[in-house]
Amino acid sequence: MTAPPYAELVAASDFSFLRGASHPQDLVLTALLLGHAGLGIADRNTVAGVVRAHAALRDLREDGLPPPERVREGSGPGEVVCVESAPDLPLSNDDLKRRAALFRFAPGARLVFADGTPDVAAYPSDREAWGRLCRILTAGNLRGTKGTCVLTLDDLLARAAGLLLVVLPPRRTDGLAPVLTRIAEAAPGSVWLGAAMHRRGDDRRRLARLLSLAEGAGVPLLATNDVLYADPADRALQDVMTCIREHVPIDRAGRLLEANAERHLKAPAEMARLFRDAPAALAQARALLDRIDFSLDQLRYEYPEEPVPPGRTARDWLAEVTGRHARMRYPQGVPPKVEAQIAQELALIARLGYEPYFLTILDIVRFANDRGILCQGRGSAANSAVCYVLGITAVDPAEHDLLFARFLSEERREPPDIDVDFEHERREEVIQHIYARYGRDRAGIIATVIRYRPRSAMREVGKALGLSEDITARLASSQWGSWGREIRDRHIAETGLDPANPLIRRALDLARRLMGHPRHLSQHVGGFILTRGRLDELVPVGPAAMEGRTFVEWDKDDIDALGLLKVDVLALGMLTAIRRALDLLRRHGLDDRGMHEIPPGDAAVYAMLRRADSLGVFQVESRAQMNMLPRLRPKAFYDLVIQVAIVRPGPIQGDMVHPYLRRRQGLETVDYPSPAPEHGPADELRQVLAKTLGVPLFQEQAMRLAMVAARFTDAEANGLRKAMATFRNVGTIGHFERIMVDRMVARGYDPAFAARCFGQIKGFGSYGFPESHAASFAKLVYVSSWIKCHHPGVFACALLNSQPMGFYAPAQIVRDAAEHGVEVRGVDVNRSDWDCTLEPRGDGGLALRLGLRQVDGMPEAAARALVAARGAGFARIEDMAGRGRVPLPALRRLADADAFRSLGLDRRAASWALRRLSDGAPLPLFAVAGARDLPPEADAPLPAMALGEHVAADYQTVRLSLKAHPMAILRPVFARERVATCREASDRLPDGRWVAAAGVVLVRQRPGNGNAIFVTIEDETGIANVILWARVFERFRRQVLAARLMLVEGRVQRSPEGVTHLLAVRVHDRSAELDRLSGDPLRIDPSPADEVRRPPTPRGAAGHPRDVRVLPPSRDFH
Amino acid sequence: MAVVRAVKGGQRLHAVDRAAQALGLAPGLPLADARARVPGLAVVPHDPAADEALLVRLAEDCDRATPMVALDPPDGLALDITGCAHLWGGEARLRARLMARIARLGVEARASVAGTPDAARALARFGGPAIVAPGEEAAAVRPLPIAALGPDDATRAALIRAGLKRVGDLSDRPTAPLTARFGTDLATRLRRVTGAEDARITPRRAVPDCAAEQAFADPIGRMEDVEASLALLLARVGHALERAGRGGRVFEAAFFRADGAVRRIRVGTGRPQRDPAVVGGLFRERLGALADPRDPGFGFDLIRLSVPVAEPLVPAQGLLDGGAAGTEAVADLLDRLTARFGRDRVLRFVPANTHDPVRASRTVPVLGTTPLSWPAPEPGEPPRRPLTVFAPPQPIEAMAEVPDGPPLRFRWRRVLHEIARAEGPERIAPEWWREAGPARDYYRVEDREGRRFWVFRVDPPDEAGPDAPRPAFPRWFLHGLFA
Repeated sequence: MTAPPYAELVAASDFSFLRGASHPQDLVLTALLLGHAGLGIADRNTVAGVVRAHAALRDLREDGLPPPERVREGSGPGEVVCVESAPDLPLSNDDLKRRAALFRFAPGARLVFADGTPDVAAYPSDREAWGRLCRILTAGNLRGTKGTCVLTLDDLLARAAGLLLVVLPPRRTDGLAPVLTRIAEAAPGSVWLGAAMHRRGDDRRRLARLLSLAEGAGVPLLATNDVLYADPADRALQDVMTCIREHVPIDRAGRLLEANAERHLKAPAEMARLFRDAPAALAQARALLDRIDFSLDQLRYEYPEEPVPPGRTARDWLAEVTGRHARMRYPQGVPPKVEAQIAQELALIARLGYEPYFLTILDIVRFANDRGILCQGRGSAANSAVCYVLGITAVDPAEHDLLFARFLSEERREPPDIDVDFEHERREEVIQHIYARYGRDRAGIIATVIRYRPRSAMREVGKALGLSEDITARLASSQWGSWGREIRDRHIAETGLDPANPLIRRALDLARRLMGHPRHLSQHVGGFILTRGRLDELVPVGPAAMEGRTFVEWDKDDIDALGLLKVDVLALGMLTAIRRALDLLRRHGLDDRGMHEIPPGDAAVYAMLRRADSLGVFQVESRAQMNMLPRLRPKAFYDLVIQVAIVRPGPIQGDMVHPYLRRRQGLETVDYPSPAPEHGPADELRQVLAKTLGVPLFQEQAMRLAMVAARFTDAEANGLRKAMATFRNVGTIGHFERIMVDRMVARGYDPAFAARCFGQIKGFGSYGFPESHAASFAKLVYVSSWIKCHHPGVFACALLNSQPMGFYAPAQIVRDAAEHGVEVRGVDVNRSDWDCTLEPRGDGGLALRLGLRQVDGMPEAAARALVAARGAGFARIEDMAGRGRVPLPALRRLADADAFRSLGLDRRAASWALRRLSDGAPLPLFAVAGARDLPPEADAPLPAMALGEHVAADYQTVRLSLKAHPMAILRPVFARERVATCREASDRLPDGRWVAAAGVVLVRQRPGNGNAIFVTIEDETGIANVILWARVFERFRRQVLAARLMLVEGRVQRSPEGVTHLLAVRVHDRSAELDRLSGDPLRIDPSPADEVRRPPTPRGAAGHPRDVRVLPPSRDFH
Repeated sequence: MAVVRAVKGGQRLHAVDRAAQALGLAPGLPLADARARVPGLAVVPHDPAADEALLVRLAEDCDRATPMVALDPPDGLALDITGCAHLWGGEARLRARLMARIARLGVEARASVAGTPDAARALARFGGPAIVAPGEEAAAVRPLPIAALGPDDATRAALIRAGLKRVGDLSDRPTAPLTARFGTDLATRLRRVTGAEDARITPRRAVPDCAAEQAFADPIGRMEDVEASLALLLARVGHALERAGRGGRVFEAAFFRADGAVRRIRVGTGRPQRDPAVVGGLFRERLGALADPRDPGFGFDLIRLSVPVAEPLVPAQGLLDGGAAGTEAVADLLDRLTARFGRDRVLRFVPANTHDPVRASRTVPVLGTTPLSWPAPEPGEPPRRPLTVFAPPQPIEAMAEVPDGPPLRFRWRRVLHEIARAEGPERIAPEWWREAGPARDYYRVEDREGRRFWVFRVDPPDEAGPDAPRPAFPRWFLHGLFA
């Protein structure tokens, strides 16, 4: 059966948020399979989805495989997952490629007007018209409030040249004729009237009417189906989206929904039958497509020229700058190896035309250096010698074997990806510099597509289906984190709901289908796009939520797919802490070196790390990393690189950790299987895997393994890389598995070894680090360790002042510092600045003085006012409100935080005295006098405050206490119960001993597959690491999740390296003991009307350990 | 079990039962946390109106003890039993009787008797002796937490911070420094709770009752007498309503039989009424229900007529030509029909917001609803829906073009209709969240005689495999007739 050719030209993807129900990729593939000649995607006032369709078509042309969609998660490299859609292919792969080659894709937008003009689908016919379309949308975006686009017909008419316009008639056609004529006059010969047959009863009559309207206006009629989804089965999802958009439950949505499932992509034959009254309208689709001489590929490589001085070319300027910097980096002369690599890299950069990109990054990094803002490149850019000598990255190619191809290769289409970390506190300066240097019309932040995740999908679908809030909340809460990608029946069953119940079933099913669909666009954390010409002629720009920022409609993957210049200006807290530490060292005359001048190879630093004494150190401070340190026993820098890379889901799930450790400890021989002699050198694998003792730990090693052992070509390796990033795509990965195993066996490898190699690659997936990235991070590990090792007080001070960052709460940082011999002094109105400071001690040493910032709820402005006003110090409490102009509420907070000791007042006395001062503005008389003199009063003394009460109040106001640990006060209680201290449990007792230990809960984690739950408890002697198997957890779920003070009974488990765990058998919630601290029996009060005993703030298992509160923030305070 | 309340940022527990309390759950906990700890927790949404209704109900129950009952929302009552206690045999017995009654209602309660309402409230809520002898209040409240004074959160927090945790801690101290810090309010509260100063409660205002009753020395039994008495009562109530400018929406007559049985008859009206003739007419429709075949012949010794629901009624000026009488007549008819057959049996159609023709209309009781306007056909368009709809649709035999042509002719009730004109299809898919099934293709057709029909076709399902026996032909139905 041959149908007349047809192409659907008015299709909405799911980037018409909550209107379209299909991914752009699915629309392309479906249209292709149905035999359409092309496809036009026109989303509602946006072009956010067209690049995906464009890239999908490109992949289909080249690979023929249905493109899995990659979704970026998190900011680390390779943190990519894939949203699967694996349709059954009725065609062979080659047929598909052939069809794809002929298939035409038209990117456009559906303009929806605010002035009552009917919708118009607009397709640019050339690059200039694309620019005009982008400017129309930009104008609308800037006019609307966040997320809306306000357009009028005049916007279109002013920039209609070169645009092919399809006017989409509304339901009522009276009044259409004049508008149609106006548009037709503004864009002569480029206007069509779209007609759709949606089986609404009067289709044919309406078609006839539209035909006569079109004739009257002198425009052709265009057949379309005004598509909302690829397949009729998507109707239910589209209905649910409508309900979510309109905030109505489905049984009340009524006519907001479509009456039927007709708005899908229809086969050309069916379209021909529907349009048998107007066959010419069908042919117009082809006519419109033929007029389009624009592809998104025409947008590539639009790099700014600023960094190149006038009169120079980018090429020779980059060469010159690189040469100059190389001599600075290597004052003793550039090593030949590095020189050769630089030459090779420059040649490749020149071939690909990326010079302006490097110069632009250099420009930004140089700005940061001039301002004293620490920065360091991460990710694959650290593979480049050019990046190193330019000071963008910190991994010295003279010391490391770097794989430049991992960063830049001719084979891959993607432009180089340079991500630079800046101090998190000062990143905004860099961002504003970029805006200033390139102008707002040429620089913009890229978008992040916010998609439905299990929790949000479940919540919204539940609401749309009219499930009760309770059920919906239960379904949504059945996830531990919001980052899951699957909604599992098991999790549903855990909430006590029946996954087999038809209503629940339907909600689950729809939530699964909704997952992965975009909800809205948001701005990326730091990705910038820079262009040579106007940005708003490349892509529509919109205002961001943050003042003074604009962001574009495309996200990282879109920018990558088009080869546009992007630079990630990322924020890293550790860089802030390091800079603050270096500043402190300088100020106190302890050291005067820059970050890159810290002496390498310091044995004391490695010794400290081997003890797992790494609290606060970059990357290696988590529980898992601390467990690994004594096992890995780092002695040199490269060990840190491995340390950073090995505690990752990839190596852990690929089961590479234990083989590596065994080999490292000499328990297992390091061997490298060889191919048959006729196939190559026997040590070919040694070259790839030698530095990691034969175990692949880095992403690029996995690739090299395939290329060396199985002789993968660049193209195949690239395919494998993609498949790895989406390793759940079983079909694709299976394809590569066959190739790899077959070829390795053919080359003489043992089949079992070949299969194991591939197993490792597969397990690796996307959750490994590339070596260069690990090396960049390892630099920061070393620097932060060095500071901690030699200057623990400075280190703690810098960490505290850089909060929030890292893994631990201030209480642990302070405690750690104290254990390293640092004297820590409390917050005081006469001594503390806003930041924590170091103050001289009598013996010439330095003590750490906590800053006013540690006081919960203390406004920075008030703190600074206090510091500015105190001069030589306050003598009396009345001085402060007058002289300091410090708002009374802030003073009360300080009193509660016990910061008046230098005035001889404890928190109780200070609060009582402050109460007497009035809240209002100071009376003029007093203001003039500068102080308030209140008459002395006769008052009875207040009851003395017990130590326990003080400690409890310290935790409530400063989240830590320098007076005592709560457990020290409760020790008599637990000693009577023969509860061991954490130190006894962790250090003294032998393996297998039954023990009970108690402490405040610092961390609760349920990593990875959820088989074990980790809890860290702390008492006055130290911490104990508790492991609960899932079975035990289920039994003590309530206690584990609710306890702030936990008593654990179980067995000591001690590894040969001295890593100790407490394997829990029973768990008790003893949080009530904490209430005893205040010595206040009234807190245990049965009255439900009394609100004093409000429970702690929500702190689910997903909360950050840094924010864990031992005592609730308490309604007692403010 | 727990009661949950939606607050900013999610759902939180509002109240928990004993079992949940034993598991460590407490009010204020976010529901998600509670669920994480106790997955099987049963929850019901918080209903403040129901709580208040219960409190009012209890208050009414306490009316028997003293007329001076005040609400102390959300969960307290204050009773002024001055001068009442002796009627019950003393304060202790009165308290015990009330507590027993409340316990029988399934409500847990605590109560204290003291010389001032503030002292009693503090003792009851924060745990004190059940009965405080006169003058002993100050001593009795000493051990109570300072929350018993009812201070605001800031004051209470400040006092606790200062180590002043009990009422006694405050009463021991000089007053001036306290007043300097917390104002006179705290001092006043302290004096009231310690019994040094008294304050009266404001009793709950009685609901203004419009009622009239008539007692008979000799019980009456004949229907004519009942009707006459009722008419008399209606006239009295009507006057009362007129003075108040109101009309009744519900009237209730209670007939107290001499043997203690009570029969009640309730009538409702569509609009506020006070005309004795009209309301009397409504009652007459129902008085038959009084007749009891097993009536031992006691007769009624009291008839009470009350108006539980009344609304403002402005006297309307009747039109001289009686033009308004039409709608009023219909309204009166509807009142009478409803009175005779019951509210749920006199119905009207209202449109429903759906594409599905089967559900496009639903019925609601006439009384108590206002008619909704039906969607009008688009101007210039023929009506899209017929006036008459068959439920269920009638099967017909039809000849039509495949796949989706209109019928050329069809046979309905043995009559063959040749189709002259047709339009369609209008495809209406089932509401998938209610039922699965094939879509219907509707056609509006006109036969050679000019009769217009609304017919639809249902295609056989195609999910059946190639081996399954398939009905070869689509099925046709007649769903409605256009005028």
